Amino acid sequence: MRRSPVLARLGVVSLIAALAAGCSSSPTTSQASSDASASAAGTTIKIGIDLPVSGADASIGIPTRNGAVQAIEDANAKGVPGGFKFVAYDLDDAVQGAHDPAQGAQNVKTFVSDPAVLAMLGPFNSNVAKAEIPITNDAGLAQISPANTATGLTKGDDAKKLRASHPDTIAFFRVNATDDRQGAAAAEFARKRGFKRAFKRAFIIDDNETYGTDLSGVFETEFRARGGTVLGHEHLSRGQNDYKALLTKARALSPDIIFYGGTTSTGGGLLRKQMGDAGLAKTAFIGGDGISDQEFITAAGDMANGGYFTVAAADTTKLGTARAFLAAYKKRWHADAGPYSANAYTVAQIAIAAIEKAIVADGNKMPTRAEVLKNVAATKNFPSPIGSVTFDANGDTTRPILSLYEIEHGKPVFVDQYVAHT
Amino acid sequence: MDVFFQQLINGLSLGGIYALIALGYTMVYGIIELINFAHGDVYTLGTFFSLAILTALGVSGEVHGIALVGVALVTILGSMLLCGIVGVLIERLAYRRLRNAPRLAPLITAIGVSFILENVMQLWRGPSPVPFPQVIPNPSFALGGVEISAKQVLAIGFAIVMMVALQLFVTRTKTGKAMRATAQDRDAAQLMGINVNTTIAVTFLIGSALAGAAGFASGVYYGTTWFFNGFEAGLKAFTAAVLGGIGNIPGAMLGGFLIGLIEAIATQYVPQGAQWSNVVVFSVLVLVLIFRPSGLLGESLPEKV
Repeated sequence: MRRSPVLARLGVVSLIAALAAGCSSSPTTSQASSDASASAAGTTIKIGIDLPVSGADASIGIPTRNGAVQAIEDANAKGVPGGFKFVAYDLDDAVQGAHDPAQGAQNVKTFVSDPAVLAMLGPFNSNVAKAEIPITNDAGLAQISPANTATGLTKGDDAKKLRASHPDTIAFFRVNATDDRQGAAAAEFARKRGFKRAFKRAFIIDDNETYGTDLSGVFETEFRARGGTVLGHEHLSRGQNDYKALLTKARALSPDIIFYGGTTSTGGGLLRKQMGDAGLAKTAFIGGDGISDQEFITAAGDMANGGYFTVAAADTTKLGTARAFLAAYKKRWHADAGPYSANAYTVAQIAIAAIEKAIVADGNKMPTRAEVLKNVAATKNFPSPIGSVTFDANGDTTRPILSLYEIEHGKPVFVDQYVAHT
Repeated sequence: MDVFFQQLINGLSLGGIYALIALGYTMVYGIIELINFAHGDVYTLGTFFSLAILTALGVSGEVHGIALVGVALVTILGSMLLCGIVGVLIERLAYRRLRNAPRLAPLITAIGVSFILENVMQLWRGPSPVPFPQVIPNPSFALGGVEISAKQVLAIGFAIVMMVALQLFVTRTKTGKAMRATAQDRDAAQLMGINVNTTIAVTFLIGSALAGAAGFASGVYYGTTWFFNGFEAGLKAFTAAVLGGIGNIPGAMLGGFLIGLIEAIATQYVPQGAQWSNVVVFSVLVLVLIFRPSGLLGESLPEKV
C-alpha cells in the first residue's frame, strides 16, 4: 500500500503496451495547482501537498489530500494572525497511473523554489518519501507525512543517509506508526489480545522483499519474546504461484497461526487461498497492511474470510476525538473519509500551528522556514482528530496506533487497536 | 513418510500442468526447431478463454453430474479451439515469413508475440489476479495419511491422457506421419507431396490447443489466473521439454512431472526450501544436460515431432 506495489516488470510491460497500441494514456496534469487565485505576494503562505491523486493510487490519495485541504480551509475560516492567508499548493506524484519517486522529487523541488512555501505535507508512499527527504532536508523545509511506514525513513543508518546535507537536522516527520511497530503489534495481537485465544505456534512466510522481510523479522522476534514458538520462517521466490508444497511443509509442523510478511501482489492472496487446498483451512492467518487492500480479498476468494491484518493507523470510526472531523469531512466532500484523511488533517494542523506560532513570534511578519521547522520539531501534546501528537527525536510520533482487522463476508471488520507507547 | 507422499502428490499435480504446456513447446520445436516463447502466454490465454466460456454459460460455482460433463467438455473444447486458432494465426503472421531467416529472427519475434499477448490480456482482464470458478466438486480421498483431491487427480490424469492421445496421433495418423516427415527433412517431405505449410499450421493448432486444455486444468486447479501466469509456468515447461529431450513427446511429460516433483521435494527437505526450490530444479537440469546433452529421452527416440 505504501510501498511500490507493482512489479517493475509490469511497468516495462505496460510501457510496451502503450507503444504497441500506438497511443499512451493521457498524460497526468501533475503540475496543476490550486493556487491560481492566490492573492498578492507577502500576504499568502503556501503549504505544499504532494500525494498521488491520479491513476490506481487516486482512491486512497484523493481522500488523503481532501483531509489536508480541509484543515487549511478551516484555518483560513478561523483567521490567521497577521492577516495572512493559507493556500494549498497541491501537486500529484503519480505518473502513468502510479506513484513515482522521480515525480515526487520534482514536486518537492517546485515547493522549495517557491519562497511562499513554508511547509509541505506528504507523500503517501515510502519509496517516494525516500526520494524527497534529502531535498527537504537540504532546504530546511518542514515535511510532515500522514502515511509512510518504512522504518528506515526516520530510524537508523538508512535515515542518516537520507539526511546527507544536514545529518543533524530532522525535517521529515510522520504521525503514523512504522513497520517495526506493525510486526510487534501483530505479535502482541497473536499472543495476547484481539483473538478468542492466544496462539502458540507460528509459521512465518515472507515475500523476500524489503517490506516483507523486515515486517516478518520483527514479528518473529516479538512473537518469541512473548513466549510463542516459531516453527519455521520461509521466503517465497518471485513469480512462483504454487505454494502447496510449502504449505504442506508448514502443515506437518502443525502451526496454529501463519504470519505472512509481504503484499498481495507478491503472493499474499494466493498463499491464503491455497491454505484451503493444503488442509490449513482452520489455521489462523495474519499479515501486515500489505494485504489490507481489496485485491487480497479478490485473490484469496472465500478463504479471505477469517484472515487478519494490521494497519499502521487508528481506525477513526472508533476514535472519539475523530468524530467531529469525520462529520465535517462528510459535509465538506460529500463522501466518507478515507483511512488516512484524519492523518492528513492532523499533519496540516501541525504545520499550520507551527507557522502561526512563528508569525506571532515575529510580530506578524512572514516567518522563515527555519522557524517553522523548529516549531514543528517541538510539537508536543498536540490535540488532533487522531489523539494527542508528540514528535520524538527522530521525527516519529511517540504514540503510534495500530489496528487489527478481520475479514468477514469479504469485508474488513475492525477488531482491536494497539497503542505502542514509547 | 506421510509428508513425503503428500509432497509426491503435490509435485505430480504441479508437474501435470507443466507437462501439458511442455507438450506444445516440444511439438513446435520438433518440427521447425523454434522455441515458441509465446506458448506460455497461449496457455494463459487458455485460462482466460475457459473463464470467458464459463461466464457465457452462466457457471459460477460447482456443477454436478451430467451437467458437469457437458460444461467441462464445452469449456475444454472451446478453449482448445480458440487457442488453436490463435496459435495458427501466430504462426501465419509472425513465424512463417521468417522460416528461412537466421535462427535468431523468429526467436526474437516469438518474444515479441509473447509481450503482445501478455499486454492484450492485461488490457482485457486487468493487471490483477482474476478468480476462476470452482466448477468441479473437490472431494479429498485419504490414502493412509495422504490426502489427494479431485483437482489433483484431474491435473495428473489430464496430462497423461493428452500425452497418450498426442503420441497416438503422431505415430498412427496420416497427418502425424506428415509431421514426422516434415520434422526429419522439410524439403524432402515437400518433394514427396506433403504440404509443409499446412503440416506446420496443424502442428501449431494442436500444440496451442493443448495449451488451451492446460489453461482449463490450471484454472480449475488454482482457482485463479492473471495475465502474467504463463511467464513462470512457460519457463518451467520449456525447461521440462529440454530435460525430457526437446522434440520428444513422452520426454516432455516425463520432464514436466520430474520438475514438479523436484520442486515439491526440495521445498520440503531443503532448509529455506521455498526460496531454493528453483535453484535445485535448475541444478538438476544442468547436471542432466552435462551427461545427456539431448535430454533424458532425447537419444533413445531420435524421431522428432
